[in-house]
Amino acid sequence: MPKCTIDGREVEFQAGENIVNIAKRVGVDVPVFCYHPGLSVVAQCRMCLVEVEKMPKLQTACSTPATDGMVVRTTSDSVKKARASTMEFLLVNHPLDCPVCDKSGECDLQDNSFAHGSAYMRSTEERRTFVDVDMGPVIQKNMNRCIHCTRCIRFGDEVAGVREMVAIQRGNMTDITTIDGLPLSTQYAGNYADICPTGALTLKDFRFKKRAWFLKKTPSVCGGCSKGCATEVHHENGSIYRTLPRVSPGVNKYWLCDEGRFLFNHAQEEDRVREVWTKTSSEATWAEEIQKFRSTLAQAGSVVFAVGSDLTLEEMKAIQVFVSQHAPSAVLGHFGTPGILTSSEDGPEDSILRMKSKTANLMGAEKLGFKPLQKASFDVAIVFTAGRAVLPELQAKHKIGVGLFITKEAERFDVVLPSLSMFEKDGTIVNHAGIEQRLRRVVPPRGHCKSISEVLMLLANTGKKQGVA
Amino acid sequence: MNTLFVQHFGNDENRKLSYYTAQMMGYQAARRAILEMKPEQIIEDVKKSSIRGRGGAGFPTGMKWGFLPKESAKPKYLVCNADESEPGTFKDRDIIRYTPHLLIEGMIIGSYAIGCTHAYIYIRGEYTREAKILQEAIDEAYKNGFLGKGIFNSSFNLDVTLHRGAGAYICGEETALLNSLEGKRGEPRVKPPFPALVGAFSCPTAVNNVETIATVPHILNRGAEWYAKLGRIEKSGGTRLMSVSGHVKNPGVYEVEAGSITLRQLIEDHAGGCWKDKKIKAVIPGGSSAPVLTADEIDVVLDIEPFQKIGTMMGSGAVMVCDEDTDMVQLIWRITKFYAHESCGQCTPCREGCHWMEAILHRILHGAGAEKDLDMLLDIANNIGGKTLCALGDAAAGPVISFVKKFRTEFESYIRGQKKYA
Repeated sequence: MPKCTIDGREVEFQAGENIVNIAKRVGVDVPVFCYHPGLSVVAQCRMCLVEVEKMPKLQTACSTPATDGMVVRTTSDSVKKARASTMEFLLVNHPLDCPVCDKSGECDLQDNSFAHGSAYMRSTEERRTFVDVDMGPVIQKNMNRCIHCTRCIRFGDEVAGVREMVAIQRGNMTDITTIDGLPLSTQYAGNYADICPTGALTLKDFRFKKRAWFLKKTPSVCGGCSKGCATEVHHENGSIYRTLPRVSPGVNKYWLCDEGRFLFNHAQEEDRVREVWTKTSSEATWAEEIQKFRSTLAQAGSVVFAVGSDLTLEEMKAIQVFVSQHAPSAVLGHFGTPGILTSSEDGPEDSILRMKSKTANLMGAEKLGFKPLQKASFDVAIVFTAGRAVLPELQAKHKIGVGLFITKEAERFDVVLPSLSMFEKDGTIVNHAGIEQRLRRVVPPRGHCKSISEVLMLLANTGKKQGVA
Repeated sequence: MNTLFVQHFGNDENRKLSYYTAQMMGYQAARRAILEMKPEQIIEDVKKSSIRGRGGAGFPTGMKWGFLPKESAKPKYLVCNADESEPGTFKDRDIIRYTPHLLIEGMIIGSYAIGCTHAYIYIRGEYTREAKILQEAIDEAYKNGFLGKGIFNSSFNLDVTLHRGAGAYICGEETALLNSLEGKRGEPRVKPPFPALVGAFSCPTAVNNVETIATVPHILNRGAEWYAKLGRIEKSGGTRLMSVSGHVKNPGVYEVEAGSITLRQLIEDHAGGCWKDKKIKAVIPGGSSAPVLTADEIDVVLDIEPFQKIGTMMGSGAVMVCDEDTDMVQLIWRITKFYAHESCGQCTPCREGCHWMEAILHRILHGAGAEKDLDMLLDIANNIGGKTLCALGDAAAGPVISFVKKFRTEFESYIRGQKKYA
């Protein structure tokens, strides 16, 4: 393997690797703005200039492939001066409105300025300002903060597959905007905010909600479809504020679709059923309803357990075991996305991430032996869902829902026992490619929601020493 | 003194094919190249002629052609850079106006040498008349079988497409030119890869200046050694077309053998010296991006290397003369304003720095400058120079540094309020 030396440390590399990535492996951080590992290299920001032996000028570490025996220095005086001057140039026209900027605290411009910039500003000239266009429901634009890294343009072009962001005008007045000022059309618009190294593109949904440094970060997996994108859920004090993609080279790389990104809002909706709900009484309690549930089960002729394929493997297994022990004659079937009954009907919805199955664990349901729910009429129907699966049309005299429902949905049931969303439980889901991934509990449920296993345990516990764990 | 071009300049009739064949050995070099020579021989001849690129960088042309891969699965392209956007340069315009067929013949020879079957001429957007003249000449060449299929009854085919730019200075930079040619934003590309490997439409491409390409027929007609010997300095052959403008008695295009005279001789003997019997204060010797020379510094041999040695550049051979009454602060502000305006905006130092320098110079000019501004200007210019993606940053920084260093007192008189912008 070829070797090069970075700041005195010898490091092996593969042909074609750039200096930024090689340096990272030996703990040398080369500051970048325009470089993004998931996008093409343009060497525009000039922040990553490093000294390469035998080259007369400083070289951009992002666009310079390492060669065998190359000697790179990232801490020489000339490199430090170049970084400081690039930072100065970038701030000549930046509004420095960090106190009111959503990016503050996680901003590349801020961090690199802190690390490589100067505390003094020499420019006394008036800063340039722009009039912003509305970018649609996802992205808030603030062109004054833009540093022209063109990551957004390249993201649209190369990843989202839609040329909607462009540079217009030129030179100092270059405006990064959408073609003809139209709103963004991609279903991946949230990524524009993720990759923006400043606060030029931020999420409207997150705007002015929370300072970034207060957020706690829990790695998890998106439950929005059968892709199983790696996510990082940001929350504080029991509330989720946003979901960001987590780097997962084999699955979603660096990206996340808007539907998955804003899925958490459904779990936090105002009219989510968080207490035991019945059609007849407004003062129902868990104890009463479990009791009634148990006797309904015992008396019913035909029973169906409809299991949403948005549940975790653990929950599905618990239901399976419960049915085999306590309702062996009941019908068991899964539901999720209308029209996508089996994993063979699943497939990519677009060429990027989104899958046709809008539930995360269709593959897992099949692995446990669940069959798609058949249409028939029953005496009692029990529906389990985490709020993502589309509720089936069931013919039943008595309907019980266990899971995440909003009030409007609950009205289709006789009884709803509130359970957990996918952000409130640990578990395992199997994505379309058969990869098992951990879903992590991000926040505790509000109100009196109980986990499905707890509900099943209560049902099973008749006072005798038996039950389902 | 031998001249290759200028004797044909000045008469509109000369642009016709009839004149070209009768007076300039029209298309004989191309005929001989295609029928009798191997491509490598041509490249070898161009190398021997020691011609260096006439667009500004002065890169040896033969070497540039030699960089193109001999075998390529992709088509190869020859692109003629007729953008001529460097302020002060107007030599290519005269070549296109009066000897367009010379350029076309050079394109044929060059295309044959590098193995190109579709060549492009990217002409400056403002050159409306020249584009028309050149297109007429191209049509004439097609009609007479010098372009198209089976040229001179050989198996060699060549199409030449004339493409008009949209008026950006940066599109004279070869990779920005290629982007513009492809219909993209005229922004320079990251190098490497160089155009010789990944150029127009991601194919191997040679980009050459008009004068360079128009010289190739001469090299083949008169011999590489003869051409090389025209130059007085080793490894720089031929003649140079110099665009002399500014405060001289006779501005215009002059042709001199490379290195045969000094810059002062060019100005005083050829261009008639400073106008209105004034003294020369300064000379910008190679287009507006070349660092300025004071009147004491112009006894320099007119060629690439001597210019480099005294810290300026020959560039495209555009000599701009300033008389003793020239306001240097105003001049550098105008030059910097040009670069700030023409910066494409993709890389940080040039986008932010050029505009910042312009703002500072504007402030100084309008009486709001401070003493520390001058050192800050030098520092900003140094931070731009050598740090940018393309040469525009250097082009903007060089003049500022040289003006402030060489004419500092003029800046100071503005700062101290002794002089006011009129």
